[in-house]
Amino acid sequence: MDLLDLIDAAQSVADGLLFGSTYALLGIGFTLIFGVMHKINLSYAAASIGAAYGSLLLLSGFTAAPAVIVFMAAALCGGVIGALVYFIGFKFIPVANPLATLMSTVGLLLLIDEIIVHTTEGVPLAYPALYSDVVVRLGQFMLRGDLMFVFVLGCACMVLFLLLLYRTRLGIATRAVSQQPIASQLCGISILQVNVLTFVVTGMLGGIAGAMSGAAIGMLSPLLAQPLTVKGLIVTVIGGLGSIPGAIIAGLIVGALESLFQFLRGVTERDLYIMMLLFAFLVFRPGGIFAKAPGRD
Amino acid sequence: MDFYLGLAQVIGVHTLLGLSAYCVLLTGQVSLAQAAFFAVGAYVAAILTVIFKWHLFAALGVSAVVSGLTACAVGFPALRVKGLMLVVATLAFGEAVRLFFFNFTYQIQAGELKIGPHGAEGFRQIRYFPEHGWSTFDVLMFIWLMVAIVMACLWWLDQSRAGAVMRAVGEDEVAAHSSGINVTAVKVLAMTIGGVIAGIGGGIFAHYTTHIEHVQFGVILATFAIAYPILGGLSNVFGTLLAVIFIQGFLIEGLRFLGDWRNLLFGALIVLAMNLRPRGFLDAGGVASLKRMLFAGKESSGA
Repeated sequence: MDLLDLIDAAQSVADGLLFGSTYALLGIGFTLIFGVMHKINLSYAAASIGAAYGSLLLLSGFTAAPAVIVFMAAALCGGVIGALVYFIGFKFIPVANPLATLMSTVGLLLLIDEIIVHTTEGVPLAYPALYSDVVVRLGQFMLRGDLMFVFVLGCACMVLFLLLLYRTRLGIATRAVSQQPIASQLCGISILQVNVLTFVVTGMLGGIAGAMSGAAIGMLSPLLAQPLTVKGLIVTVIGGLGSIPGAIIAGLIVGALESLFQFLRGVTERDLYIMMLLFAFLVFRPGGIFAKAPGRD
Repeated sequence: MDFYLGLAQVIGVHTLLGLSAYCVLLTGQVSLAQAAFFAVGAYVAAILTVIFKWHLFAALGVSAVVSGLTACAVGFPALRVKGLMLVVATLAFGEAVRLFFFNFTYQIQAGELKIGPHGAEGFRQIRYFPEHGWSTFDVLMFIWLMVAIVMACLWWLDQSRAGAVMRAVGEDEVAAHSSGINVTAVKVLAMTIGGVIAGIGGGIFAHYTTHIEHVQFGVILATFAIAYPILGGLSNVFGTLLAVIFIQGFLIEGLRFLGDWRNLLFGALIVLAMNLRPRGFLDAGGVASLKRMLFAGKESSGA
């Protein structure tokens, strides 16, 4: 491999790293819902795409809405969809029955997908890519403006989110419920309230992630939901269940590697290597990137 | 008439797929890899009958063994983890298998044309049934004979000690472990049985559709596989059959007159069913009251 190939490889890693912030946000959402509810929400990525569509719908009256508004609308829709998902798919199903919730979120995934297909008649919609004309050149490399924007936005969301989780009363309550639901209830924390707020907050993160992937790819399609679900779950596991820093790092790694493998081996084999990476983690480091010293069972 | 025969074939094969997931779910494991075992069975059986000109029964036997071995091999590393981790691990395995077949080309020259699996185009010309003079009705009978055999075996397994052990592991792993059950062995065994059943189902599937390709074995099929037993309830094998008839017969075919709205209703009805009957259509209580209704006249105290 000569120098030029090396530069191309580094370029694709950089692009992937920037796009990886989307995966990181989705990974945080999956991890947090699992942390609080100890249940899987398989409809999360579909809800994120749905929120991105919702933002288009909300802003369809305006021609050229500014960037900030588009993303805020997506976050708003994400929050609403998150609350709906909680009430439809979680609230009325007994806690002791994780299989039933798993299935109901699968039903919601199909439902959200079909609502999107139904309202858009299956046609992919163009999503406003922001700063797509800006290209930053660093010597041999160039960084695409839209991807940089997505990355910066993703990082900002993560920082805000971590502040929310570690510096506010809501964050403390959320973490308390995830560690000891009964004890926190005895301390006067309303579990229902925390659960709903968790779904709203993760839904907002998901909405932004959906809008980000829409902006990075340049269009929205219901076909995005399935790959994003798979990638989000992989990120969650590689990062370690319940670990937010792990999800962030894993999201960036998966994004970078995916782009690198696409460059090296082509688009058809790309995901195969990501799956192998996941298996390597499951076998050698089942606790994720930031696992504590392994305990024996 | 042919339409109903075809529908009955689909229901039969999907019942096999659902039963393979049922077996794994009994031990409390959620496996999204059943579609992958199904795919392995389909490709192996089709390659054996088309390229090596084997008899169908021999090919199905080999595909069952290969799928079972695959499931056993996946079982060991995958069952180190549980819950969400297992879902994701098996999901990733399923996708990896699908992507393998996406990139898998193995063709031989047969007269004018090339036969065998060809990457993204899939595997065409699986013409065992027409070439050997099986009518649609013969195929249907064969499928349902297999379904009946598998259901009878699983029913027997359920009633035997092995079934009790599997349910014990599913209900409370720690308690099962401390009463001397080798939990890993039970889980891997359940996974292997599931793989064997999925392999048979996949082999039959390949032969009646005559054309298989990687997209058929994606996440959606894997989700369907676990949806049948969960919707139907895990109290006995008939729950799975009921759920397959409900989904394939009613939701997919019966609601066709709704056109576009059918797909919308599909997800919504699954959500609704899970809210109303979280333990499945045929849960333990339902079975008990059904028994009382059926046998009320004969024995008043027995059931």
